[in-house]
Amino acid sequence: MVQSPARRFWRILIAWMVVMLFFFPLFYWFTVAVKDAREIFDIPPRIVDFTPTMANFEAVFGIDFGGEKSRVAQTGGGNFYMAPRLVDSIIIALFSTLLAVMVATMASYALSRMPFRTRHHYVAWVLSTRMMPPVAVVIPIFFIYKNLNLLDTYTGVILIHMVMNLPLAVLLMKSFFDDIPKEIDESAMLDGASRWLMFRRIMLPMVKGGIAATAVLCFIFSWTEFLFVLTLTQTSLKTVPVVSSTFVTSTGTAWGNMAALGTAAMLPAFVFILLVQKQLVRGLTLGSVKQ
Amino acid sequence: MTTLTTPTQGPGRWLTWDRPLPWLLPLTVVLLLFTVYPLFYNIWLSFHEYAPLKRQLVWVGGKNWSTLLADARFWQSIGVTLIYFFVVLAVELVLGMLIALLLDTDEPGFGFLRGTLTLTLVVPPAVVGMMFLLMEDPEFGVLSYALKSLGILDSSTPILSTPSLALAGVMLADVWQWTPFMVLIFLAGLRSLPSEPFEAAMLDGASAFQMFRRLTLPLMSKVIAVAILIRGIDLFRMFDYVYVMTSGGPGTSTYTVSLYAWQQTFSFIKWGYGATISLVTLVIILLMANLFIWLAKVRW
Repeated sequence: MVQSPARRFWRILIAWMVVMLFFFPLFYWFTVAVKDAREIFDIPPRIVDFTPTMANFEAVFGIDFGGEKSRVAQTGGGNFYMAPRLVDSIIIALFSTLLAVMVATMASYALSRMPFRTRHHYVAWVLSTRMMPPVAVVIPIFFIYKNLNLLDTYTGVILIHMVMNLPLAVLLMKSFFDDIPKEIDESAMLDGASRWLMFRRIMLPMVKGGIAATAVLCFIFSWTEFLFVLTLTQTSLKTVPVVSSTFVTSTGTAWGNMAALGTAAMLPAFVFILLVQKQLVRGLTLGSVKQ
Repeated sequence: MTTLTTPTQGPGRWLTWDRPLPWLLPLTVVLLLFTVYPLFYNIWLSFHEYAPLKRQLVWVGGKNWSTLLADARFWQSIGVTLIYFFVVLAVELVLGMLIALLLDTDEPGFGFLRGTLTLTLVVPPAVVGMMFLLMEDPEFGVLSYALKSLGILDSSTPILSTPSLALAGVMLADVWQWTPFMVLIFLAGLRSLPSEPFEAAMLDGASAFQMFRRLTLPLMSKVIAVAILIRGIDLFRMFDYVYVMTSGGPGTSTYTVSLYAWQQTFSFIKWGYGATISLVTLVIILLMANLFIWLAKVRW
């Protein structure tokens, strides 16, 4: 459609303003991470006119970035050294993603290619597990884990994060398998290839991109998950989102340290999400809306 | 893997790679263990309660269920959840559609704008809660400051500790994080619209609003339904923002059902009662979602 120059101008201006409005909280959070403790509390709030410092990152990661001087503790007097929690987050997200993608890829191949009588119901069942409120799962899982000594362990959290991501992974992978023309496997079958061989040699290479997109989304959902980790871990491990909420202490909130940790936790997710832009909508809609 | 290919008779024939069973076995086992078994465990729990003196769960019959029906705070939490659900869903749908229409063009730089919008989706919701907690702080929060400067907010009103405003303060975090979700889905829908009906409508002299009403919306109905379904499920079980920002307060004004069930279970050690509340939440979500899937004819 043809637009007048004036309308075009307004459209571009408003679009930029809207997006910047959405970007502002992220930007502001970043400024808090590099602000000195006192400047966080200044009124009017400082948006750009502050002296940047790496002190918060130094306290959280225990690394000396060579600023004026490293500070270990801030408001509250606690120790905010959080590098091990970042490692916990990475371990949990990596292994739960790996498991979810493996289980889901196998299952979704069958759901895409092998008709059986109850297939429609099976897919509906998988979808309905996506609807279960986490709180209704975590209460019984807490007691089951307690009996199995899985509370406060990597295994426990990895398993539940895998389960949480399975419906998404299965439905998304199914949509990628559905995209491959049926003629390809039919001709391979005629050539005498076994199912398993065909799956390994022909189908898997063709859904590589889909597997990558599924893995990225599973990783991000595990990385950002809150309720399961909050409930099923106590002292030996915690992920970044849960540990962030503990920076609120009786003597005040360590905003600077929290923002530093939060910023560091967002950056890998930002990189990942930009890598899978093309498949993002399909992923967010469990494979039902294609770009 | 060759062991799985030989038998053609007997029970073993179900375990060849030509059958769906071996492919679906890992998924089925995992889902049975982690969703179906906990569901029955939850039902069992709802007829028991923890007895602090005996230090164990004891059978209480239907007591948890009768308590639930008479529990004003439970019904209030259902009310809060419903308000949250409908208000946030409506705001995100309308705002998401408006922004999607705004961004649906090939102007230079708009790809960058769409990319920037996706960033909000990958921030941990708990961290989003902390971000808005800071920005809505009555003393030094940048948002409170802006609202006061504009004269919208009374200078003595703390957003998150005023009962009438607290829920709106929490909703804002949700709207900020998930409106881009709607925008991206709607953009994908807008991009895949056929151009012929719009060209025909243009020739007939239809206005932009008429075209949106009569063509865009009906053609996008499937995409909109999927967006409502997926967002709706998450809205009804919302936990992270309220836990981090208000813990249900001030008073009981921001208790969602999920938070109420969680607190009853893990803060007040009423294991059976918490399980009962969470079961009700589960049933409501499953009923609403499946009814919606059936009515809107969403298919996977």
